[in-house]
Amino acid sequence: MKTRLILATIAATLLAAAPAQARIKLVALPERARVVVALSNPTATLVEEERILTLTKGVNKVDFSWRGVNIDASSIQVRMLSHPADVKLLNTSYPPNENALIWEIASPAAQEERVRISYLLNGLGRDIAYRAVAEQDEKALTLRNYLRLNNASGEDLTDAELSIGYGAPFKKSIAHEEVLEMLSERIEKLPIKKVLRWDSRQQPWDPEYEKKTVGIPLNYIIKNDEASKLGTHTLLPGKVRIFIKTKDQAAGEGEAAGEGVAFTGEDWGLLTPVDREMKLYIGQSREVKVTQRKMKDDRVNLRRNNQNQVILWDTDEVFKVEIENFKKSPVDIVLVQHIPGYWKMKESSHKYEKKDAFTIEYALTLPAESKGDKKTTISFNLEHLNVQGNEPANY
Amino acid sequence: MNTLRSLASATLASLLLAPAASARINVVTLPGRDTVQLTIYNSADLTLVKETRVLTFRKGINKLEFSWANTLIDPTSVEFKALTHADEVDVLDASFPPRVTNTLEWRIKSEFAGEVKVEIRYFTSGISWAADYVAEANKAEKLMALAGSVRINNNSGEDYEQAQVRLVVGVIRLVENIAQLAQQGRPGQPPPPPVATPMPVTMAPAPRAAAMRGMALADVAGGKPHEVVKEELGEYFLYTVEGRDTIPTGWGKRLPSFRAADVPVTSYYKFEKERWGDQVIRYYKFTNAVPSKLGKEPLPDGAVKAFRTVTDDNLYAFIGSTSVKYIPVGESVEMELGADPEVLVKPSLMDWQKTDMKFNEQGNVAGWTIKQTWQFELQNSKEIDVVLDIRRNFAGDWTLVTAQAQEKVDATKVKFVIPLKPREKKTFTYELTTRFGTNATK
Repeated sequence: MKTRLILATIAATLLAAAPAQARIKLVALPERARVVVALSNPTATLVEEERILTLTKGVNKVDFSWRGVNIDASSIQVRMLSHPADVKLLNTSYPPNENALIWEIASPAAQEERVRISYLLNGLGRDIAYRAVAEQDEKALTLRNYLRLNNASGEDLTDAELSIGYGAPFKKSIAHEEVLEMLSERIEKLPIKKVLRWDSRQQPWDPEYEKKTVGIPLNYIIKNDEASKLGTHTLLPGKVRIFIKTKDQAAGEGEAAGEGVAFTGEDWGLLTPVDREMKLYIGQSREVKVTQRKMKDDRVNLRRNNQNQVILWDTDEVFKVEIENFKKSPVDIVLVQHIPGYWKMKESSHKYEKKDAFTIEYALTLPAESKGDKKTTISFNLEHLNVQGNEPANY
Repeated sequence: MNTLRSLASATLASLLLAPAASARINVVTLPGRDTVQLTIYNSADLTLVKETRVLTFRKGINKLEFSWANTLIDPTSVEFKALTHADEVDVLDASFPPRVTNTLEWRIKSEFAGEVKVEIRYFTSGISWAADYVAEANKAEKLMALAGSVRINNNSGEDYEQAQVRLVVGVIRLVENIAQLAQQGRPGQPPPPPVATPMPVTMAPAPRAAAMRGMALADVAGGKPHEVVKEELGEYFLYTVEGRDTIPTGWGKRLPSFRAADVPVTSYYKFEKERWGDQVIRYYKFTNAVPSKLGKEPLPDGAVKAFRTVTDDNLYAFIGSTSVKYIPVGESVEMELGADPEVLVKPSLMDWQKTDMKFNEQGNVAGWTIKQTWQFELQNSKEIDVVLDIRRNFAGDWTLVTAQAQEKVDATKVKFVIPLKPREKKTFTYELTTRFGTNATK
């Protein structure tokens, strides 16, 4: 433990009489009675430690110093817990070239005072790691949330109450240079949505012209709400590793029978406040094939200037999307279409959702083995209006 | 006192007979300071030091030497004044002796023989003060305790013992830098070579610092914090720290200034794409006024550490470090606490139309109108009430149609202020029409 608290209690009269010697009159080294480490702020670690000071009547000097610990000196505070109304902090002095400060605390009587000293401590790194095991049907998973602390602060934290801003705090010891991983949350049968997302701007339109089978990005979506057995706190950002259950493994040589799992992918989970979705891109599906073609692309209503140049036109466009599902189970897929400029939909075979001025999405459930003659076909006919060739595609 | 500052007096009568070169060092007395007052400014590196000493004068001409090696005193500012027998004591002249820096000599004519209380006043640089605050919000973040402190740092090269400390809040004008004037050692001189500059505080030998530790603390009596008394002084505010404080050079000292409990506070969130992109920036908003348990004096600019108490036994959650500007009485304050991802403001352009095409004589497009429909998705994932302040900037000939209450900030800016309950979601929309080319009407 590198922080040190020296209590020097001196009667006020002695101080006035012999100031230079007064400091060494009495020295006590009160131990920490409690250490609380708050990790709720992602950019700062707040340490609050409680110590019991034995104060004499009058003015007491309390010397707080630290060595090899990266403490933000401007953040150090002391609060009186036992007699907050009577025991007063008079002032704080900062000696030159020392990691130290001296509090002058006045006490109306000789008594014990529990004080809480708080400061911001640098060097206590924390990571959140998620491990998820999905059921075979990929409709639910078991989510384990681990807090990983990397103590490079210079300070040994003994029996510290570690709090991440939610749930009960952990009481742990973590020495300087120690890395400690703790299971902070475990949720069974958390419902998930598995969605393939084909984006007309990202994926090739005609797989026939590709040398490799086109994969369609596969996402797991976790909603941070009560229905998903979450919704009590913001999900902190961290790496999510996803496994999927396989058939139970038979007992092998020296191994008991158990649940088999296979790794299916990982992604960085972004910070997800309550009632919002965490979208995890975990891999690609090659069991679904999307072919999109533009079947009609005509300019109509051409307007020319005096030099006979076309300066304004409308369009008539027809798109056809064919989707095949080779899986033996139904698949949810979202098709994203980007349509710049001023446009109107004239006709669409399927319902779509306008996400913004330049984006529409078709959300479909593809039946099992809907391939060949059973494939799903979407077609839509749209027109662009008042086109000059300088229309926005983004905002 | 660590620096060699001497105040020496000698009678002219004896000096006249002595060789000129040795006359100056004919030290007669070295009177100590009786009182010292520091008036520290926070807008400039300037402190007015006023000290009183008791000198013994003889009738006739008295010579006084005042020197200040290794300090940051402005030689052009040193003044002498007799406080007792003022009508019998006159300063004839002040001279800065040749080839000597950081020294001046006063020739004083006295009609009186005996002890005279004198005041010496000068400017020094190297002493500064700053305010800082601790804001402690309650769990619901509706009330906070605000505690202000003042911290004085002495890097002047001089130890000031048992000093009365006064702090000036306000902006003063200086046409010359006091630290530079101090380096010159004497009026109108180029700065001396580096060896003569004051010793930086960081090089102060450690044993001395340790020895000072006792002394720095030797000025508290009565067991009460020194109260900071505030008074208005023209455009400035003067904070006088009650009692006496000793601040050796190299040391800093922090004193509590005020504490106000139960100050009403609003969790105010701002969104303005042009300033912060997609981020929503969090503020604590409060007013420096009596109904808000403040308003007794302006609050000097300073650093703020903001906490929220999260448990019944008042454990803290750290919210952030920030700073506040100077806050006059009655002014509303916004303390910026950084981006907060738990409050969402998501503007989406839902529709874009180009219409009302106009053509010129050459048949080219000359005028057009763009109609945009914007939808704002608002979401509060927090457990507290918040107020959103959303600002949108528009250019050109624009008109806005919306059912949402809004306020025009200026010709190109509109503000929407929308409260959200815990976990509340809201949306609002507006239609923006912008006319271009010949369609523009203004």
